[in-house]
Amino acid sequence: MTDHTLSLAWRLFRHETKRGELTIILLAIILSVASVLSLSLFSERLKSALTEKSAEFIAADRVLDSNSPVDLAWIEKAQEMGLNTAHQTYARSMVFANEQMDLVDLRAADTGYPLKGTVKIADKPFAPGIAIKRLPASGEAWIESQLFQTLGIVVGDNIEVGDKVFRVSKVLTEVPDAGFSVFGGDPKVLISNADLAATKVEGPGSRINYSYFFTGDSSDLDSYYDWLEPQLDSEIHDWDSIEDDETGIGRAVGRAGQYFLLASLLAIVLAAVSIAVAAQRYSMRHYDPVAIMKTLGAPKKMVQQIYLLQILFITALGITIGVILGFLIQQLVVAAIADKVDVSIDVWHWKPLIIAVFTGTVCAVLFSLYPLMKLFSVSPLRVLRRDLGANLSSRLIQFIASGGAIFLLMWSYSQNLKVSAILFVSGIILVFSLLMVTYGLIWVGRKFAQGKMGAWQLAWARIHRRAMDNSVQLISFAVTIMLLLIVLVMRNDMVQQWQNQLPQGTPNYFLVNISQAQQPNLQQHFASNQVDIDKFYPVVRGRFVAVNDEKVRTAVSKEDPDEASNGRDGLGREANLTWSNTLQNGSEVVEGQWFGLSNSSDTATERPYEVSIEKSISERMQLSLNDKLTFNIGSEIIDLKVTSIRDVNWQSMQPNFFFVIEPRALQNFIPTYISSFNLPSDRKADITQLMQPFANVTLIDVDARINQLRNIVDQVSLAVEFILILVLAAGALVLIAQVQASMDERQQELAILRTLGAKGRLIRASVVFEFIIIGVVAGAMAAVANELSLYMLQTQIFQMSASWHLEYWVIAPLAGALVVGTLGALGCWRLLSLNTSQLLRQMV
Amino acid sequence: MTPTTMIKTNGISKTVTTTQGQLQILKPISFEVKAGESIAIVGASGSGKSTLLSLLAGLDEVSEGEIYIDAQAMHNMDEEQRAQLRGAKVGFIFQSFMLVQSLTALENIMLPAEIAGHKDAKKRALDILELVGLDHRASHYPNQLSGGEQQRVAIARAFISKPKILFADEPTGNLDAANSDKIEKLLFELNQNSHTTLVLVTHDPVLAGKCQRQLHMQAGELTEVFANTSAEQAARQVG
Repeated sequence: MTDHTLSLAWRLFRHETKRGELTIILLAIILSVASVLSLSLFSERLKSALTEKSAEFIAADRVLDSNSPVDLAWIEKAQEMGLNTAHQTYARSMVFANEQMDLVDLRAADTGYPLKGTVKIADKPFAPGIAIKRLPASGEAWIESQLFQTLGIVVGDNIEVGDKVFRVSKVLTEVPDAGFSVFGGDPKVLISNADLAATKVEGPGSRINYSYFFTGDSSDLDSYYDWLEPQLDSEIHDWDSIEDDETGIGRAVGRAGQYFLLASLLAIVLAAVSIAVAAQRYSMRHYDPVAIMKTLGAPKKMVQQIYLLQILFITALGITIGVILGFLIQQLVVAAIADKVDVSIDVWHWKPLIIAVFTGTVCAVLFSLYPLMKLFSVSPLRVLRRDLGANLSSRLIQFIASGGAIFLLMWSYSQNLKVSAILFVSGIILVFSLLMVTYGLIWVGRKFAQGKMGAWQLAWARIHRRAMDNSVQLISFAVTIMLLLIVLVMRNDMVQQWQNQLPQGTPNYFLVNISQAQQPNLQQHFASNQVDIDKFYPVVRGRFVAVNDEKVRTAVSKEDPDEASNGRDGLGREANLTWSNTLQNGSEVVEGQWFGLSNSSDTATERPYEVSIEKSISERMQLSLNDKLTFNIGSEIIDLKVTSIRDVNWQSMQPNFFFVIEPRALQNFIPTYISSFNLPSDRKADITQLMQPFANVTLIDVDARINQLRNIVDQVSLAVEFILILVLAAGALVLIAQVQASMDERQQELAILRTLGAKGRLIRASVVFEFIIIGVVAGAMAAVANELSLYMLQTQIFQMSASWHLEYWVIAPLAGALVVGTLGALGCWRLLSLNTSQLLRQMV
Repeated sequence: MTPTTMIKTNGISKTVTTTQGQLQILKPISFEVKAGESIAIVGASGSGKSTLLSLLAGLDEVSEGEIYIDAQAMHNMDEEQRAQLRGAKVGFIFQSFMLVQSLTALENIMLPAEIAGHKDAKKRALDILELVGLDHRASHYPNQLSGGEQQRVAIARAFISKPKILFADEPTGNLDAANSDKIEKLLFELNQNSHTTLVLVTHDPVLAGKCQRQLHMQAGELTEVFANTSAEQAARQVG
């Protein structure tokens, strides 16, 4: 490369930048880099903030659960590697006081606990909790409110746990790692780890679980796990992180992460579309200079070098400005939500910066490849024959280069072949079907618009004449609108589903052990206190003794999937059995038939009693349809036939049951009842008064857990909202770039019409109509394509139920017409503000 | 000393492929142009003048026949070699000026010298800019100049690399009468001073009359070649 080439390239670049010739392509690169950087930096920061926040729900970043104490060297190794550690022992044990006893969830924690989140305590049962840093001192126990009821004690009384007596010094209102199921299990008792040995609950046959908590940098955690993994025994040990969490929080965070990823991918596609549009325009504007240089004797190589250098300069400048701008935008967003999201988001991540620069470069290079190749092929003969364009015309190269670039970016960024492939394939199908539809529409439209040359006719004539250009433009509009729709609708559906899980008025208290006689009184008492009480579910306790006449060793103890999965329950523990003729809300029969629907030929009297079992318990206990289950209820043995398996929504905050039995089977048993109610936080003080007449009824307070869950859902929703705004802004800029580019092509025609004396109003109206037509068609096509992509995304990636979005079939064309029409009108207004000679001169 | 032959054509023709089959847009043409000579290619629109010019200038390839430029066989050259030849020996002036819009007047003039790798491109350009009387417009962009000024920049650009042949395609076609006169005058003056061979395409008989010879084209055929008398040329150039 000669000095002249470099200086010529630099000079051309400098002048063109100054004169605004490069504005569009520069803006496109800036836009791509800025949107990708701000979006991915923001989502990366938010994701880690949310993970941080969610980590509170397992009280650490990682947890090692074990059935037996682990080698101390493992913990020392973790500390050596710079990790913080803590330890808690769980045991199920009986406590005694006042000649009463109850089974409790005993937790003995060491001083480090909890590494994430806080423990909250109160001075009175059911009073609001206050966060506290310390743990119970030796000889002290903090117990949950319901246990005060069951044992009939007050703060300051003593309880016996195993061989040791503890003074109850506080009410335990919240621990971070409580779990999220409705029946939080047995009441929790928190003591110091130092006191555990004295209780002697550890011993042969006892079911003790040991949890070791770790926090630290994720890289340190990963390398520690790499060291630890070979020593773990999957029968004994279980390594957990919040990402593995299958509860509501884990899923919400996981889904939000996928949404951010989707939004960023779409932002990349948007940026790519805008670069492709801008590069095309840039190339066409340089046909003349290339022809002139070639005529003046410039060798092909020199022309290539000049333009490649220019692209390099533009890319470098665009990336620099884009990075600065993207960072500022992101910083602004962070500042805007800082008071709403109570997590620190001031962490710098390198990955988004690398992605943004990589994206900018790949987009600039691969998307300008075809336009540049076209540019290089311009014949010098163009200096004499102005109508000559580029010699190269291979849309295949264009499709391969740009399609390849998009796919490469999506894949390398998401590292998720499925998401990338779904978006990419639906994109390709969309582009091809759009091409067909566009041609059809353009042809049909022209047929309808024949007659006197009014603004409509001019508009259709223009669309028809430039069918190919318009189809490309239409497709880019449609793709842009579709991408925006996907981001918008996904957000709406997702937030909706989250909020549906926890609607206003979700029960935050559960009542257990209500006798049949108490039912009407309780109902009346609550009603007179303006508290709505939910449905009463009858419950009998039954011991699960055999499957197909074979005695079972593993027993199901209670309605908590998290807890049951630890397998901590002793043999022969009782299960809550309910009966109902109707399937509960949020439950779905996945195998077999609900009661009475099976086509059994057995007569009513011979027919065995039916039972419906929950899916996870069926898997865990290897139960299948038609198995015979035997329960011991009271003193009676009862056989049940499995006739259905249900998928239960454990996040529904309703009483849920592993076993639902046909009412006929349990008619001779006297049940107790379970119910729930919602009490607003500001009426928390009324609890005592509400419960006073029903001393034997146990109250379970899940308010704190619901608030935790709602809080995180709110924060994730808010984050999703901001991501949506960012993507919408990026999309709007892309639309502006597209209209701007297409305005150029219309300039010549406007000049001619103007010269021929056409009124400004006619020209303006015809251009606006043209853009309105394009907007409506693009919007309509985007709505259809959106439906297809959403169906695939929701069912394949987000594991949500897919639904129709018919309102967007109306909204999208209208919005398309409005936005594209307005942008067209604005662009046209700029052109028409020039006089005819300026217009003509600009054309030269 | 007898002038050497600068351009020589032997039966050059141009055939293009259309949807209706092959179409010969230029029938076989043979003629010679001496060094320093000025010729005008005249004829109605569509007669093939510009096609002939594009072949002579090496902007397009001949379908048949031979073209020699300064004794070099251009018909055997590929696009790159023809570009090299143009850079070394040929200058251009166009009806629509064909200036690079994003370069200033001075930079437009420097362009051929830079492409040719001349170190003194800027100095040469400043000198010639002064010669065409536009030194005060050096830093202006084409769209800030009048049509006449733009064409003067184009003329300066054509002469900067001291071409042996200057091709001019309707050089006054876009200009008013007063500006046309100025441009014609400048063109012939520089042509005479630098002993350039001038090949000019025009449908203006007055401008054609100022050249030493006229080649008349009609429907792709060279129909007539005749020489203007010195007296006629002199009268027209002064007038």
